[in-house]
Amino acid sequence: MAVTSGPAASGPAASGPAAPAVEAVALRKDFGSIHAVDGIDMALPPGRIYGLLGPNGSGKTTLIRLLVGLASATSGKARVLGVDMPSRPNLARIGYMTQADGIYPELSVWENLSFFAALYGQTDRAVLLRSLELVELDGRLGTPAQNLSGGMRRRLSMACALAHHPAVIFLDEPTVGVDPALRVQFWNHFHRLAADGGTLLVSSHVMDEADRCDELLFIRDGHVLAQGAPAELRKRAGTDNLETAFLQFAGETAAVPETTSAEATR
Amino acid sequence: MNPRRVAAVFRRIVAQFRRDPRSLALLFVAPLAIIALLGWVLSSQTSGSVRVAIVNESSNPVGLIASKLQSALSQQTGVAVQEWTIDEATARQMLKDQTVDVAVILPPDFSVDNPKIEVLTLGLNPAGESSALPALQKALLGLEALGNGDSPVPTIERATVYGSPDATQLDSLAPVVVGFFAYFFVFILTGISFLRERIGGTLERLLATPVSRAEIVLGYSLGFGFFATLQVAIVMAFVLGRLDIPALGPVPAFAIGLGVRTIGNPLIAYLLVLVLGLGAVSLGIFLSTFARTELQILQFIPIVIVPQGLLGGFFWPIERLPDLLQPVARILPVTYAIDGLRQVMIAGADLSSGQVLLDLSVLAGIAAFFIALAAATIRREVA
Repeated sequence: MAVTSGPAASGPAASGPAAPAVEAVALRKDFGSIHAVDGIDMALPPGRIYGLLGPNGSGKTTLIRLLVGLASATSGKARVLGVDMPSRPNLARIGYMTQADGIYPELSVWENLSFFAALYGQTDRAVLLRSLELVELDGRLGTPAQNLSGGMRRRLSMACALAHHPAVIFLDEPTVGVDPALRVQFWNHFHRLAADGGTLLVSSHVMDEADRCDELLFIRDGHVLAQGAPAELRKRAGTDNLETAFLQFAGETAAVPETTSAEATR
Repeated sequence: MNPRRVAAVFRRIVAQFRRDPRSLALLFVAPLAIIALLGWVLSSQTSGSVRVAIVNESSNPVGLIASKLQSALSQQTGVAVQEWTIDEATARQMLKDQTVDVAVILPPDFSVDNPKIEVLTLGLNPAGESSALPALQKALLGLEALGNGDSPVPTIERATVYGSPDATQLDSLAPVVVGFFAYFFVFILTGISFLRERIGGTLERLLATPVSRAEIVLGYSLGFGFFATLQVAIVMAFVLGRLDIPALGPVPAFAIGLGVRTIGNPLIAYLLVLVLGLGAVSLGIFLSTFARTELQILQFIPIVIVPQGLLGGFFWPIERLPDLLQPVARILPVTYAIDGLRQVMIAGADLSSGQVLLDLSVLAGIAAFFIALAAATIRREVA
C-alpha cells in the first residue's frame, strides 16, 4: 500500500474518524537493563497536536523512533494509521523531523529538499516550492545548507519532513535553538497542519510550549504519567503552573494532593 | 526496488562531490601525482648505469683477462667500466666513496681450474645494490670461455614470453597501480561519506523515508562507480598515453603521461577495476559502522589497505609468500584484481581467458558479499 503523494489534505485516515492515527499497545523498549520505554499504551485520534513532555532521557525520542519504525520494540505494538510499524510503505504517509537537522551541509536548500522529497515520491516542483515558501526559504534555493543560519537550517529540516504532505508528523524537539519569533511561526504552521486533518506528535522539554498543544502526554522514565488537555491537567494537579503539575504527577513534590498521587499511578 | 529512489541517491552523491573540491582532488589529482612520481623514480632507476671497478690480483696475464672482462662488460648496456688494474683495498675505498657501485675481483688463485670471481658491493642496502647486479651478471656469464684463449666471448640473448626483455618495472607495475588506487580512494571516500550520514543525522532521516537499504547501497554504488569510472579513465589515459612537450625557452622538454606499453583491452581492465570498486563501496559502508569519527575511518587503512598492498601480488608473487600467508592473500580482492589486470594488460588476455573470468567472478562474489553485509549493517539502529 505504497502511498506516493500526501493524503493529509484529504482528511484523516481512511479507517474513519474514530480510529486512532497513532497507537501504542504495551510498547516496551529495553537497552540492556535500561527500560527506555516501559510499557506505554496510548491511542491518539487524528487531527490534533499532541505534546510529548518530559525531561531529557525520559524516553521521548525512543518512543518516537519506535512509532516511526526506526527502532524495533522489545515487546508490544506501535501502530500508525492502522498499520503496524515498522512498515516501509507506511513511511510515505509519515513525516519525521529529527532532533539533529539531518540535512547535507554541502548541498543547496533546493538539493536537500528535492532529494528527500524524491525518496517520498514527491517530485512536483510547485509543491516543493510551496513548502519552502511556508518556511520562508524560497529566496534561498541555491544557498548551500552550511551557509544558512541555525534557524534557517531548522526550517529547512522541517520543510524536508513535510514536503510530501504526511498525514502523521513526528517532530522531535523541533523548536530547540529556535528564536521566539520563529517559534511562533512554527506553531502557527503546526496548527494549520492539524486543521487540515494532520496528526502531530511534538516532543519538547520546555513547558511553555505545552499550552500550544491540544493534548499533552507527560513522560518520565518510559512511562506516561498523565494525559489530557493542558487545562484539564492543570485542574487535576490543582495548579496554574504546568511545571508544578508535571512534578506533582511525577510524585516528586512534598505536598502531593491525594487526587494527583492517584493519577500518577494511572 | 524503485529506480527513482536509487537515482535520487545517485544524483545526491554526484552533487555532493561537485561541492567538495578536496575529495575531487583526492580522487583525480592524487593518483596522477603518485603515479607520475613512481614513473619518475622507476625510469631513472633503470636508466642509470652500474659503475664497475675491475681488480686483477691473479697471475694471469693482465691484458688478456682484463680486456676480455672489459669488452664483455662494456658491451653490456647499463654497465660502465670505471677503473681497472687496481688493488682490492683501492676498490674497497672506491666503494666507500661511492665512486663505483660494484667491484669485480679476480682473486690471486684465479685460474682455469678455479674460475671464481668475487663481486664486491658496499652492503649498506644489499637489496637495493642487488638491483645493479643483473646487468653485471649477464656480462660475467659471457666469461665462462675465459680459459679458451682467443675464442670469442659468447653473448647471452634474453627473451620473455610476455612483454619484452626491456620491459621496465614501471611497465609491469603501472596497470596494477590503477586498480589499487581505485580501491583505496573509493574505500576511503565511501567510508567517510557514509560516516557523515550516520553522525550528521541524515541516515536517520533516510531510514524514515520509504527508501530501502538495498536502494541506498545501490545508489551509493552507482554514485561512487561513476567517479571511479572517471578516475580510472583519467589515470589509465595518463599511464598509457604519452604526450611529449618540446623545450620552450627556459622550460626544458618534458612528457605528460608515462606511455606504458600494453597490449590488453582497456575495457576489460576497466571492468575488473569496476567490480573491485563495487566491493570497496560496500566495504566502506560496512566499516563506517565501526567508526565514530573520520579519523577512525583512516585508522582502517593499515588494516584494510596496507595488507592488500603487501600481500596482493603487487610486490611479490603470491607463490613466494610464506605458506601461512598464502591463504590470506587468496581472500583479498586486490589479489584477484592485480592478477586479472596483469593477465589483461601484459599478457593481452581477454574474456575468453579462464583466468580472467575466474578473477572477475571472484571479485563479483566478494562484492556481492560486502553489498549484503553493508545492507545488513544499515539496519543497525542508529543512536
